[in-house]
Amino acid sequence: MNAKKTNWWALLWAVIGLLYFFVPLYGTLDFSLRMQRGVLSLKAYQVVLADPQFLASFRYSATMGLITILVSVLIFLPTVYWMYLKVPQARPIVEIITILPFVIPVIVFVFGLIRTFSGSPFQLTATPFKTDILITTGYVILSMPYMYRAIDVGMRSIDVRGLTEAAQSLGSNWAQILFNVILPNLRGAVLSGSLITFALVIGELILGDFLARPALGPYMVQVGRDTAYQPSAMAMMSWGLTWICLGLIQLVARGSNSQTLTGR
Amino acid sequence: MAYLELVNINKAFAETHVVHDFNLSAQQGEFISFLGPSGCGKTTTLRMVAGFELPTSGTITLDNKDMTQVPPNRRNVGMVFQSYALFPNMSVADNIGYGLRVAGKPRAEIVQRVEEMLALIHLEEFGKRYPARLSGGQQQRVALARALAIHPHVLLLDEPLSALDAKIRVELRQEIRRIQRQLGITTIYVTHDQEEALSISDRIVVMNEGHIEQIGTSSEIYNFPKTEFVANFVGQLNLLPVEVIDLAGGLVKVGEQLVHTNQTLDHMNGHVIRLAVRPEELNPGHREGVNNLSGTVTTVTHLGPVVRIKVDVEGRPVSIDMFNERKLQVPAVGECFDFSFHPDACWLL
Repeated sequence: MNAKKTNWWALLWAVIGLLYFFVPLYGTLDFSLRMQRGVLSLKAYQVVLADPQFLASFRYSATMGLITILVSVLIFLPTVYWMYLKVPQARPIVEIITILPFVIPVIVFVFGLIRTFSGSPFQLTATPFKTDILITTGYVILSMPYMYRAIDVGMRSIDVRGLTEAAQSLGSNWAQILFNVILPNLRGAVLSGSLITFALVIGELILGDFLARPALGPYMVQVGRDTAYQPSAMAMMSWGLTWICLGLIQLVARGSNSQTLTGR
Repeated sequence: MAYLELVNINKAFAETHVVHDFNLSAQQGEFISFLGPSGCGKTTTLRMVAGFELPTSGTITLDNKDMTQVPPNRRNVGMVFQSYALFPNMSVADNIGYGLRVAGKPRAEIVQRVEEMLALIHLEEFGKRYPARLSGGQQQRVALARALAIHPHVLLLDEPLSALDAKIRVELRQEIRRIQRQLGITTIYVTHDQEEALSISDRIVVMNEGHIEQIGTSSEIYNFPKTEFVANFVGQLNLLPVEVIDLAGGLVKVGEQLVHTNQTLDHMNGHVIRLAVRPEELNPGHREGVNNLSGTVTTVTHLGPVVRIKVDVEGRPVSIDMFNERKLQVPAVGECFDFSFHPDACWLL
């Protein structure tokens, strides 16, 4: 018998990692259940759910999150694909560009957006719809390092040139190659990029606050200023809802691969 | 007019000229191999036929239509890659049917064609499997079926067997040839493996440094190489510096030993030229006829069906191949060794 040796160091680090993530989460959950003195109850959750502004702000941020994912994928997938195929030498430059959101503080970025696009000729803060366009572009840029890297890692794991040329020789045009061949093979990478993007948009504060849109981040800060237990309940609910949304994204993305033509 | 014609094809990447004045006419149903060392331009030429590279100059004609500038997805050329390039997200059946689906063929026609192709490659039971669950040989068969499913004008194979082990390679190359004959499809096969090219091709294009060294059948390439490169690259070859002794009689001297060549020499007496002779044309271990040389055994190498003996003939290394058999008496290293050969076996460079 060749029994596998347990790697105790790996196990220790895994436990430390799990504790690091779950202890604060447990603390928040525990605190959110103590609104009524002496008993554990869902009172804080009831109060939050009774506030229509919570669901409205969550719905707004979730919608923005989905739009941001869609726009990011439509921008970064063809860009990274083209870079791999035609201009691999541009990769260092693209990498530098994609980390800029880490270097430029969000507050500076927001002021730049407002100063540039609120005036003529863009006037993108004139109406809520136009501001939503502006905030979406902001979210796309903030999520760029994550989405780019996720797609980049996915591209590295497949034979981009080989698959492209095989599809071309079989008669595919560029759109067919991208959506029938490349994208399905990057599903895991795109999903992980989407997951981070969604979480980022749900929790984002500064863009929503300064562009005066009803996002979840500013709402949570507002509630946190006025009450004690509800912010914890909201944090737990937004965490849970984020995971449910991500699960739904994964479910939808998985759905299209179940039929094969023939064979036994 | 030939079915596939490449006329004065040149290709340069920046300052590097990788294909020079390449001319080839292929008849319908012909199996042509591009053979040459790495970097000789054979894959680049194939990629120009596929449309993945555009020639710097020259024209490519297929069935009397100029294809030079036509994009790869409109050429109807089937391509099989060294890396298989199967779509990992699709089953075997979906891979094979992909080209027909893209062409908008009706589902019933696609299903029928996929089943035909699965039968052709003897993988009827594997339609629902995904490429990751197939062996390398099976994956390459699927890649072949996928390329053939679209009824291509030409089939292009870019070193399709390089990633496979030796036994599978031999089986699969026979399979490729069987299918090619069955379908009668014009095929271009790129390889650096001379045995592969010699065994399956109608004609071979031997390439070196971007240009064609020789085009011919396997027998012409092996037995009558036109250049020193072809003689050296295809098969094993002994190249011995020899001194011209008798111009008219075709007599030369290896060290102090005379060799008759049956060839008229165009060099002056006393000039040093090179004598080429294949190891398998040397008769080991005995003296007979007019050409007999002797030397000292330096190495004995067992290559399976052949035992290769290296002999030092007055400072010149000579390889001699003996067919292996269980009772073969191989000479010992350091032993004196005689061998003979017919004057027709040698040619002079």
